[in-house]
Amino acid sequence: MNQKSEETRDRKKFGYQIARSVAVVSGIFMLIFSILVLANYFQTKTTDPLNSPALETLMGQMEERPDDQALKEQIRALDLLARKAYFTTQWQIRTGGYLIFGSFIVFIVSLRIMGHMKSKLPVVGEKPVNVWESAGLTRKRMAITGFSMAIISILIVILSHSELEEIQFRIDEVMDEAGLTDSAYPNDEILRQNWPGFRGPYGTGIASFDNVPTEWDGPSGQNVLWKTEIPLHGMNSPIRWDNRLFVSGADETRRQVYCYDTDTSEMLWQRDVLDVPGSTDEIPEVSYDTGYAAPTMTTDGERVFAIFANGDLVCFDFEGNQIWAISLGIPQNIYGYSSSLIIYQNRLIVLFDQETGGYLYAFNTQSGRMEWQTSRENMMTWASPICVNTGNRFEIIINANPAVASYDPSTGRVLWSIEGMTVDAAPSVAYADGWAYAVNEYAFLWAIKLEDPPQIGWENIDYLSEISSPVANEKFLFVATSYGDLICFDAKTGDRYWVESFDHGFYSSPILVQDKVYVMDYEGVMQICYADVEYRPISHLELGEASFCIPAFDDNRIFIRGDTHLYCIGHEDE
Amino acid sequence: MISDLIRHDQITRKWTVVLLLSILVCSIPTQIHSQIQRFPKPEFESGHVVPTPTTPHPRQDIYEYIDVAVLIIALSTASYLALKKRSRNGIFMLSLFSLLYFGSWRKGCVCAIGSIQNISLALFDRTYVIPITVIAFFTIPLLFTLFFGRTFCAAVCPLGAIQDVVILKPVKVAAWLQKVLGFIPHIYLGLAVLLAAYGADFIICRYDPFVGLFRFDASFLMLLFGAVLLIGGIFVARPYCRFLCPYGLILNWISRLSKHHVTITPTDCIQCRLCEDSCPFGAILPPTPEKAPEARSVEHKRLAILLALLPVLIIGGACLGSLLHTPLSQIHNTVQLAERVRLEELGKIQDTVIESETFQQSGKPVEQLYGEAALIKNRFIKGSTYLGGFIGLVFGTTLIGLSIRRKRRDYTPDRGTCLSCGRCFAYCPVGKKESKEDEK
Ligand code: SF4
Repeated sequence: MNQKSEETRDRKKFGYQIARSVAVVSGIFMLIFSILVLANYFQTKTTDPLNSPALETLMGQMEERPDDQALKEQIRALDLLARKAYFTTQWQIRTGGYLIFGSFIVFIVSLRIMGHMKSKLPVVGEKPVNVWESAGLTRKRMAITGFSMAIISILIVILSHSELEEIQFRIDEVMDEAGLTDSAYPNDEILRQNWPGFRGPYGTGIASFDNVPTEWDGPSGQNVLWKTEIPLHGMNSPIRWDNRLFVSGADETRRQVYCYDTDTSEMLWQRDVLDVPGSTDEIPEVSYDTGYAAPTMTTDGERVFAIFANGDLVCFDFEGNQIWAISLGIPQNIYGYSSSLIIYQNRLIVLFDQETGGYLYAFNTQSGRMEWQTSRENMMTWASPICVNTGNRFEIIINANPAVASYDPSTGRVLWSIEGMTVDAAPSVAYADGWAYAVNEYAFLWAIKLEDPPQIGWENIDYLSEISSPVANEKFLFVATSYGDLICFDAKTGDRYWVESFDHGFYSSPILVQDKVYVMDYEGVMQICYADVEYRPISHLELGEASFCIPAFDDNRIFIRGDTHLYCIGHEDE
Repeated sequence: MISDLIRHDQITRKWTVVLLLSILVCSIPTQIHSQIQRFPKPEFESGHVVPTPTTPHPRQDIYEYIDVAVLIIALSTASYLALKKRSRNGIFMLSLFSLLYFGSWRKGCVCAIGSIQNISLALFDRTYVIPITVIAFFTIPLLFTLFFGRTFCAAVCPLGAIQDVVILKPVKVAAWLQKVLGFIPHIYLGLAVLLAAYGADFIICRYDPFVGLFRFDASFLMLLFGAVLLIGGIFVARPYCRFLCPYGLILNWISRLSKHHVTITPTDCIQCRLCEDSCPFGAILPPTPEKAPEARSVEHKRLAILLALLPVLIIGGACLGSLLHTPLSQIHNTVQLAERVRLEELGKIQDTVIESETFQQSGKPVEQLYGEAALIKNRFIKGSTYLGGFIGLVFGTTLIGLSIRRKRRDYTPDRGTCLSCGRCFAYCPVGKKESKEDEK
């Protein structure tokens, strides 16, 4: 027994010595190679064989004697030599690395064997660690660490510098040069002479034009001044600035913007939206009712802006040059993105609500730089923001589930919010005379008095629209439902003046043109009546094709987007 | 006896000579190869035809699923070996297998640690399509940890395995230092999530110290970093796992809730103290002394102060974090480019770099670049605020954790930091006795 254990001990000792020798040899080998590789590496770092001074001198001579064949050969030879030297060094480093790694493995294995051959018995200390004392010490050291980290962070903040911080001034300078200072923004009068976005100026659905046609017939061409096909489908409504009319269209892969001459129907330009930073080829999921180009464009009179179902936001100038573009990412939206754009001064307001983590953004109209973003904790929204002067300030007001909310267009700060709205929000807010109106089908119609704080003045649950946005003036509120009812309420009390039922429902929204209400049903029949306490019809006018969009207005003319065509309606006799 | 030793010595010397000779023989092909290198192939001299570039086929889908299957099998085996079989040898052999499979053969990718970034990016960027296998690599180890503790770290993670084999002379890291260094993974995790979520960088992959060794291809500095960690790892066991790994941190959190966990002794602790220094990771918690060091009222007061301080730390951290948004956003390529272009535009630097040249050639308006950079910087304000708040929270909760007095009778593994490696099993006389009885 004794002899056996002695033999085992001897064997172990022998194994230990062998392992130790191997460890020593491999360790030395590893060390030598590490030094060589390191030296090689630093040599390559400090000398650049491909830009050697000798080569550069010869190249200089070459410029003086371009036909000197001998010189050319000399340069070639030297260049080849330099390259050889470079690649050889690279190879040496790599091979050295393999050898170091190999010897490291041998080293570790032999050390492990050594450990195995000479395993020690555990040593028990005098007394166990006092965990509470240790915790006290740790607490103190942690506090010191935390304090040091804070100091280091502050130092980093102080030492860090960004050249981009001064860009604000630069952009302001550019804007000054371009005459785009505050005073240069289109004023109320100019805005009302145009139709710059979804539901006209400020997004309220009020048109101030004279002599707007009340008679036409699409199928026979009566009062149709021109009609032209739009290349790609889109649910967005036309917008107009002076004599330019803009619409967008898209399919799964293409996104386009079109500019027409309002007088001649000539397409002035058509542009594909390309080179959008961050955009991917992924196709967003949309329903047919929404399509890939549902949001209506907007313009500031110099540039036009469009956004598509995949979140690509683009700016063109009036000549069709793409100024900037940015991808906001594909919105999480089960029916497809449809919120239209609106402008406040030099800010392009984009409502980007989605299933979770929606935002309200403001981009600089000129540079595309983001001015502010405000996160929105609500459900998906299909409604569009309106931007109205509510007395002594401008407010962006948005209808959504679960809150109707208002934001400061300069900063994105929430001004007020009324919670309690439910279901999918597609109709946008109506505004007139200090009252905002928000409606959702299967929820409520709220008339919100914009006092401080704003509160619901009256409420109705009988006549609610699903998609169509209401429109209001000081006296009346008009709501058009998707089951074909047009309702007139007293704007201040909520008393119902009248309800008129039509054959087809309304997806488009009513527009108040002076004392008349224009609203198009989804079969393309325009219902025109007086805005009055009684229902007084003026006309029912067929377009000849379905239409879901809101017309763009002008003195003497209306521009309507049908399912596939763009129409200009006017007075033929004039 | 002496003659025996002399004989051993002679043999040892002989072996050493043999070994040296074999290393020399091994390096002969290297020398030949290096000579070949000095006289490059003829096509290098002139008339070199540039080969047509080819696109290698991506790894076939089936292999990815095989990887997931191997992961599940390895995790199940590791859990079985650690909890049921209590076999350190088995765990070690399995970790060697994982090193060869996930490390050498799979080249360290896809890996659970890096998957944190894919998950973050997918959560913040809906245009990013995350591969299902990446989700699997992220979630499966978490699930196993929830049931069996960190068996993933013990024997499945190739990064853990490569460090485990070099643990030879582990030194004891002081408890306070271990706690302070253990703070680094929190910062690393927060940074990695922030930078990945905003598409700035995948820093976990970029600064993976061992992937370069698996692939024999990395920058010199990264190889050096890996080598330093391995050599340091001879003395400080698994430095990456303990003081850097962000995934290890998540596993640490989850492991505290695990349903089952390895124990040092299979039955009752007899307070023999033999296992006290057996854990190279300092993951064994000793019993608490009978006598409290301070009066209860002092402890309660401290705890109350720390609890009241927690919101201050979170808010303070958030404020500091938000102030750090500028340097953090400068990690993003677009912001870097915008800064560079701006510096060139201002004439503060005369030369150009390839990135700024490419940008200038693209014809893209500089305002657009600045706009994009501003958008990214804006996002970073929010992100870095959250990061700062998170660090404040971790800091506060760590201090609170250190101030709560918990009684412990036996030597037990710390469920958070224990890697389930099984080293301590052999130290427990109760366990030894049981296994001997089992063998009988
Ligand atoms: S199993 Fe034992 S030795 Fe291994 S990490 Fe856990 S406590 Fe330490």
